[in-house]
Amino acid sequence: MAELDSDFIARFFRDAAIRLEERRDELCQLDGFVGDGDHGTSMANGFAALTELVRGSSSHARGPAALLREAADRFLSHVGATVGPLYATGLLDTAQAMEKDAPWQVREFPRFMAGIARGIARRGKAGQGDKTMLDAWLPATRAAQASLARGASAAEAARDACEAAAEGARATASMIASRGRAARLKERSIGHRDPGAVSAAIIIEALAETVEATPEAH
Amino acid sequence: MASAAAERTPLKFQDDALLWAAWLYYEEGLTQGDIAKAMNVSRPTVNSYLAEARASGIVNISISGERLKSLSVAQQLQAHFGLQECLVIPGEGGARSLIDRLGAAGGQALASLIQSGDTVAITWGRTMLSVARAASAHVPALTDLRVVQATGGTTAVIPYTPEACASQLAESLDARCIPISAPAILSSSAARSLLLSEPVIAEQFATLAAVNRIIFGISSLRPDSTIHESGFFDSSLEQHDHYRNAVGSIAGRFFDANGIPVDGPLGDRTVAIDLESLRDIKTRIAVAGGYDKVPAMLAALRGQFVSVLITDAATGEAILHADGVETPRLRSSNRWPKPEKSALPERTRVKKFLNSPRDAVLESLEGALSTYPQFIQPIGDSRRALQTAAPPREGKVGLVIGGGAGHEPAFLGYVGRGLADAVAVGNVFASPPPDRIVRCTRAASQGAGVLYIYGNYTGDIMNFDMAAELAGADGIDVRTIVTTDDVASSAAENRESRRGTAGSVFVFKIAGAACDRLYDLDDCERLARRANDATFSMGIGLEASSLPETRRPTFQIAAGDMEVGVGIHGEPGAAREEITTADLAVDRMCDRLFSEMNLVAGERVAMLVNSLGGTPMMELFIIARRLRERIEARNAVPLRNFVGHYCTSLDMVGASVSLMKLDDELLELLDHPCAGFGLQVAAHSTAW
Repeated sequence: MAELDSDFIARFFRDAAIRLEERRDELCQLDGFVGDGDHGTSMANGFAALTELVRGSSSHARGPAALLREAADRFLSHVGATVGPLYATGLLDTAQAMEKDAPWQVREFPRFMAGIARGIARRGKAGQGDKTMLDAWLPATRAAQASLARGASAAEAARDACEAAAEGARATASMIASRGRAARLKERSIGHRDPGAVSAAIIIEALAETVEATPEAH
Repeated sequence: MASAAAERTPLKFQDDALLWAAWLYYEEGLTQGDIAKAMNVSRPTVNSYLAEARASGIVNISISGERLKSLSVAQQLQAHFGLQECLVIPGEGGARSLIDRLGAAGGQALASLIQSGDTVAITWGRTMLSVARAASAHVPALTDLRVVQATGGTTAVIPYTPEACASQLAESLDARCIPISAPAILSSSAARSLLLSEPVIAEQFATLAAVNRIIFGISSLRPDSTIHESGFFDSSLEQHDHYRNAVGSIAGRFFDANGIPVDGPLGDRTVAIDLESLRDIKTRIAVAGGYDKVPAMLAALRGQFVSVLITDAATGEAILHADGVETPRLRSSNRWPKPEKSALPERTRVKKFLNSPRDAVLESLEGALSTYPQFIQPIGDSRRALQTAAPPREGKVGLVIGGGAGHEPAFLGYVGRGLADAVAVGNVFASPPPDRIVRCTRAASQGAGVLYIYGNYTGDIMNFDMAAELAGADGIDVRTIVTTDDVASSAAENRESRRGTAGSVFVFKIAGAACDRLYDLDDCERLARRANDATFSMGIGLEASSLPETRRPTFQIAAGDMEVGVGIHGEPGAAREEITTADLAVDRMCDRLFSEMNLVAGERVAMLVNSLGGTPMMELFIIARRLRERIEARNAVPLRNFVGHYCTSLDMVGASVSLMKLDDELLELLDHPCAGFGLQVAAHSTAW
């Protein structure tokens, strides 16, 4: 089985950056309903900065955990905003987990997701049902873990994670925000999907695609 | 009766037969037959008089707005979810709690839903107990009724246990009560099998199969919900994991967002009607309300657990929105609908002076730096971390402010002598990252500590907190003050969750003066806090702002509307209302601000009228004029005035009003000289 190495992470960053760039406007518009309309900009610029980081072959010289640490720094200093600290902490927590027992196999990608979700929850002090990006990250992580436990292939688990993330993002429409700027809208936030959950689903799509593109994942 | 005198229309009706007929019918309450006799005409004639009176506008039949709204929400809920019946009470009910009002509505509804010979099940919870109590006042005498507990018993620390709800309903309906003499949650499935094999309990439980009506509450799974308080979940994590996908609960059973039952370790330890059996009951009456329950109620409706829904208008509308149904907004002028679309095209692509939108922030900062070198300069090679051009002074507390771009002259305009020492600038409407803030902190630190002041936003708090940790590791004592002046963003008892808006300028000014006078860190912090506590703001938006990247308004405000309680990031406000005159708009803000700050005669205030970007000075002065009138009408004293662009939201059309209550110390600091490009106070000047 292939390792979840720096090359894997580089491919994941690039794929996520392309998808987020494509949907930059849509995310901004979504954020306009409940926030200040900058979410697409922050996410697309943030992942573009990560792509910059892994351009060429220099990324391959570093171990994956070191790369994630650097990515956390880069994301934070390029984005700021609300998502900066959240994803930076997510990447950092994943790096810390990885340092304990690297290398991870691609099959272990749910641990990667769990690390990001844990960091986001820690920094944002939010949980599931708060109408945040965690409403995509948490169910997607659990879905991936569950399908692997059932004996599914990594590729199948990745697809399940993808679906759970999309479903989770959709479900935020019925929730009332209790964190972040949308919380001040109270009931007026109902009926709109949370832009953070939608972008999380896009990132998870990219991660799933990267897993599926690994030949041994099937 | 057929005398000529009786045929003559009484004088007060001015010879108008239609008016006379309408008066007798609507005001005196006569029947059409009586009116026919009184007017000496035929009954069909009376009928046509009345119809004509309505058609010609002599009679206007109107339903009060709140009632009409309830009715329209009920109709939409019924149609959208295929309900048998739906009762929606008005969203606002004065002093009575929502639970009391829902209970009364539930009691009233039971009168038409329950018949003699019925077997009625009821669950537990606050709302259920309220329904059970209210039923006695509404339901007529019925016979052969049975009331059965839908679940076993729960912890007795709550007053609204299943036993209490069932026995109260039985008493109200004069029915026989059938309890379930077992706990709702047992320690194991074996214990459950054992208990259910006991003849008495088996017989009680079997009654549930005969139930033809059930009344239930819907519990959310939020941490403070009934399901948690009644001890259903012991807090073992493993157990929660099974119910991760659950969004709601009825009778101690769980279901997901689509109303599909969620099974877990509690399932075969629960003594309660199950969801499949519940769905087979003929009349399934849900009584529930509150925004926190919206996901749970929507899921219950999707799962068809509900055939009769009783809720309030606000919750009902939120459920419809959550399921993507648009509800028509009712306005006072609903009878005379305005054209929905104005003849003018909507603003779709906003014109801006830009090169590349991505360079906008940096180019703007370059322009500001080259325009105002006497106030601001870059810190090292960074053009997004700026510092005062004034020379550093040993022992001075450093003041660092910051936030997103797009608010100019905030925040960089408040850097300079007597103001902040450094400012960190983020992207448009986005917090600056920690490294930039740390850079500002180091530049501002003169060994006496550093004060951070910024608006209360999740992103800013996270980034500034991370920066404070890093600066703390460098040995710099950092104190943080988060501005919370915007009254519209949260209730008064929740002051700490309010946003920081244009009133932040007062806080920067006071803190800057305190730092400039070389007060120590404790005093600077105390005074900045006092300034924040004394400051109250409110804004009204007329057109949304548009980001450089998208050049589209971030949201739409219809032609006849204004957004009340709008913030400074183009985000929507607290409420959408019909647009009004300048004076009435100011009054709308004053009423809220005065009551919030408890402004009384003789008090002194500073007032700041701020453009959100697109509103010109001419209109700001119209606002300032009315604001002053209102302050003076209270016999308060508007001692200092500021009118202009202080804290903008790009090109948003709109304005905000900020008031700071002044005491001697705050006034002195407000008058302390300062020089930033956004705010200048000359030395020895007390009236400008």
